[in-house]
Amino acid sequence: MTDTQPIRVRVCFAKGGDLRFTGHLDLQRLFERALRRSGLPLRYSQGFNPKVRLNLASALPLGFSSEAELLDFWLDAPLDHAVIEQRFSAALPADIHIRQVKFVPNDLPSLQASLQSSRYRVTFQPPLDTNELAEKLTALLAQETIPFSRRAKTADLKQLLLSARWQETVDSADLLLEMKSTPEANGRPDELLSLLGLAPGTYQVCRTGMTFNSTEGENNG
Amino acid sequence: MAAPQKSTIDSRLESILFRVEKPGRYVGGEHNQVRKSWHSIETHVALVFPDIYDIGQPNLGLAILYDVLNQQPDVLAERAYAPWVDMETQLRESGLPLFSLESKTPLNKFDILGFTLPYEQIYTNVLNILDLSGLPLLSSERGAEDPLVIAGGQACYNPEPMAEFIDAFAIGEGEALILDITRAYQEWKRWHGPREELLKALARIPGVYVPGFYEVTYLDDGSIAHVSPRMQGAALPVQKRIVAKLPPATTRFLVPNVETVHDRISVEIMRGCTRGCRFCHAGMVNRPVRERAPDEILQAMQAGLSATGCEQIGLLSLSSSDHTRILEIIRGVYEKFKDQRVQVNLPSLRIASFSVDLMDELKNLRPGGGFTLAPEAATERMRAIINKPLDEEVILETARTIFAHGWLSLKLYFMIGLPQETMEDVQAILDLARKIKGIGKSLKGNRVRIHLGIATFIPKPHTPFQWYSIEDAQSLQAKIDLLKDGTRKSDIKMTYNPPDSTLLESWLSRGDRRLGAVILQAWKNGAKLDAWTERFNLSAWLSAFETCGLDPDFYTKRQRSLDEILPWDHISTGVSKRFLLTDLRLSQAGKTREDCRNNCFNCGILDTFGSLKPSEEEVYWGCP
Repeated sequence: MTDTQPIRVRVCFAKGGDLRFTGHLDLQRLFERALRRSGLPLRYSQGFNPKVRLNLASALPLGFSSEAELLDFWLDAPLDHAVIEQRFSAALPADIHIRQVKFVPNDLPSLQASLQSSRYRVTFQPPLDTNELAEKLTALLAQETIPFSRRAKTADLKQLLLSARWQETVDSADLLLEMKSTPEANGRPDELLSLLGLAPGTYQVCRTGMTFNSTEGENNG
Repeated sequence: MAAPQKSTIDSRLESILFRVEKPGRYVGGEHNQVRKSWHSIETHVALVFPDIYDIGQPNLGLAILYDVLNQQPDVLAERAYAPWVDMETQLRESGLPLFSLESKTPLNKFDILGFTLPYEQIYTNVLNILDLSGLPLLSSERGAEDPLVIAGGQACYNPEPMAEFIDAFAIGEGEALILDITRAYQEWKRWHGPREELLKALARIPGVYVPGFYEVTYLDDGSIAHVSPRMQGAALPVQKRIVAKLPPATTRFLVPNVETVHDRISVEIMRGCTRGCRFCHAGMVNRPVRERAPDEILQAMQAGLSATGCEQIGLLSLSSSDHTRILEIIRGVYEKFKDQRVQVNLPSLRIASFSVDLMDELKNLRPGGGFTLAPEAATERMRAIINKPLDEEVILETARTIFAHGWLSLKLYFMIGLPQETMEDVQAILDLARKIKGIGKSLKGNRVRIHLGIATFIPKPHTPFQWYSIEDAQSLQAKIDLLKDGTRKSDIKMTYNPPDSTLLESWLSRGDRRLGAVILQAWKNGAKLDAWTERFNLSAWLSAFETCGLDPDFYTKRQRSLDEILPWDHISTGVSKRFLLTDLRLSQAGKTREDCRNNCFNCGILDTFGSLKPSEEEVYWGCP
């Protein structure tokens, strides 16, 4: 069974609702179990305690929602996209929604290894004044460096932030951010917002997309 | 019933969740969670495990009741757990009540709150949960608009310490009682009677104990003078309820979205135990033995695994190797699941009922991990006293077989502080552990690991040892020191309970109704989450005893007189006090009783429940 080439399946999914409070490791286990429930012919890891082989692109911070998470898993036998999507969807909680299923070559590097940056949309609820916030942000970004502390170390947020712009909405404005997402440098919107004096829970963050290495970005698959 | 304020709670909850550790504990949404429309359902039950989600979610008892209740079209059951300290602070600061996970409905909007009380150290959490739900703590202060507060579980065989707080206790097996209680509630509610009438209706259900209808008077020495019913029809004693045959096993388990302490599903293969270990509460109160048939077990396992996608499953019982068809079960499990990448746990294997066949089969089942044996005592004299007779040679031979089959790690469980125990008996624990280690080394070399788990004996109600005092802390400490020193020298790992840490369980497990005031005061002094060793606040309890004018030593350091009325005597497990007394005397004479499935000692179970016993073909009962 395992001497055949596995089929690498890439799933793009949205995550929201109460599942925002399920962290990365727990989400991995949730996917393992959902895949086991789905009845798909899964490829397992070798060894004493075989596990469902799967791979998530990037840990989404607790409390964030996302429109564009990516997951790779492997099948032992080929199946139609629609069948995979239907069976996997049926086994998933309602707070995860599959947006796309496709096959990618086995020799692509792992999602984590090729991830470059993430895009986020931050939304605010009235009565928070986004004009005032925008002024604060402009002032902050005008600084030469933006030092902040993470786990007792100091880093420069300016090195992690690729872009920041505002998008008007009906009664407020959303902040659109792009931040680095590599193992060496990973920017977090909540760290930026806390420098602006905002506590977690007073705004919502949604990851809207990820950018991968140009050499084998997901579109080259 | 007023509409739950769902949207308000949800939006206020949102900001709180960002400020607490592991917020996934508080939001529910697990696979197989049951959501029903609140308004279209007549009766709303909240099942509450009074410790945090991580501990309570895997509880099989609550999973069974959740399943049974939600199968009723006119009943909805949701869940709630104790919040951790950070969440409690957030709830109190924002004025939010504690809510159910499924619909985020405040607990005070439910019709019935059903607490499970598997052990005593979670009693203050019950008070904390009632308080966080905006409910009066005392049963006597709750009115017609408040939910009915019921409790069940293993600790409820002595309900007295919680009698002031719980309206009605379900004594015995929840599957046998929960629907009777729910139906009585529905009837009362349709009729709009006063709350007193509801309690009366409940008190008439066999197995339901409504403490408010019983009056307890005391003698000058603090022991009980009388327990008398104040209501016509209130049973004395209250007889526990059982199911004659274990109902089909629950298989639609909730799959947690955050990590819990036992992240696996379970199938109960047998209930009860016929061995009669004299210290063992579970072995006395859960009689008679009732087995599930191998076919049923295998089907339930498959259904549970398919419904959850879990990769680990535990086969539960008090003594797995005593199941009459255990070999058939293990072979069946291996055949059925060997290609499914499932890890099967079979805990509670008893040394004497081990066979080489069983070992061969087990080896297939779980090639990795460790093995656990529980001799409980290390000398033959001591094992006769506790009625766990075993030749030392059998223990050593079992260990030899375990190592020879390839296991390298062996856990050994013993108790200290047992009646008539001497330093020699404790030294013998060390000697035995070293011998076993020597056997392991000679077969497998230095990779062999021995882990010694030392528990402190706590006399439990409804057992032959219920009259004993506990050993004083100093002498226990000397025994612990001896073991610590010896294990360190022999490179054996040891875990144990510091003497102070078991005091709370000792006081409460054999407490009387007056301890209600102590529990209340201790909670006011800040005691909660007492089962968490690092949070246990001894001074809050000692000061509560003092405030209430009660002596904690009265409950623990006193040899109870054999003719004393014990606080739990009006609760019957089916095992008679006369039997317990005979067994105590046999223990004191160093005499054992064999496994009672071979030879009935007339413990009282057959007198009480014999008429329920099904035919042998239908279900195996341990009673001959």
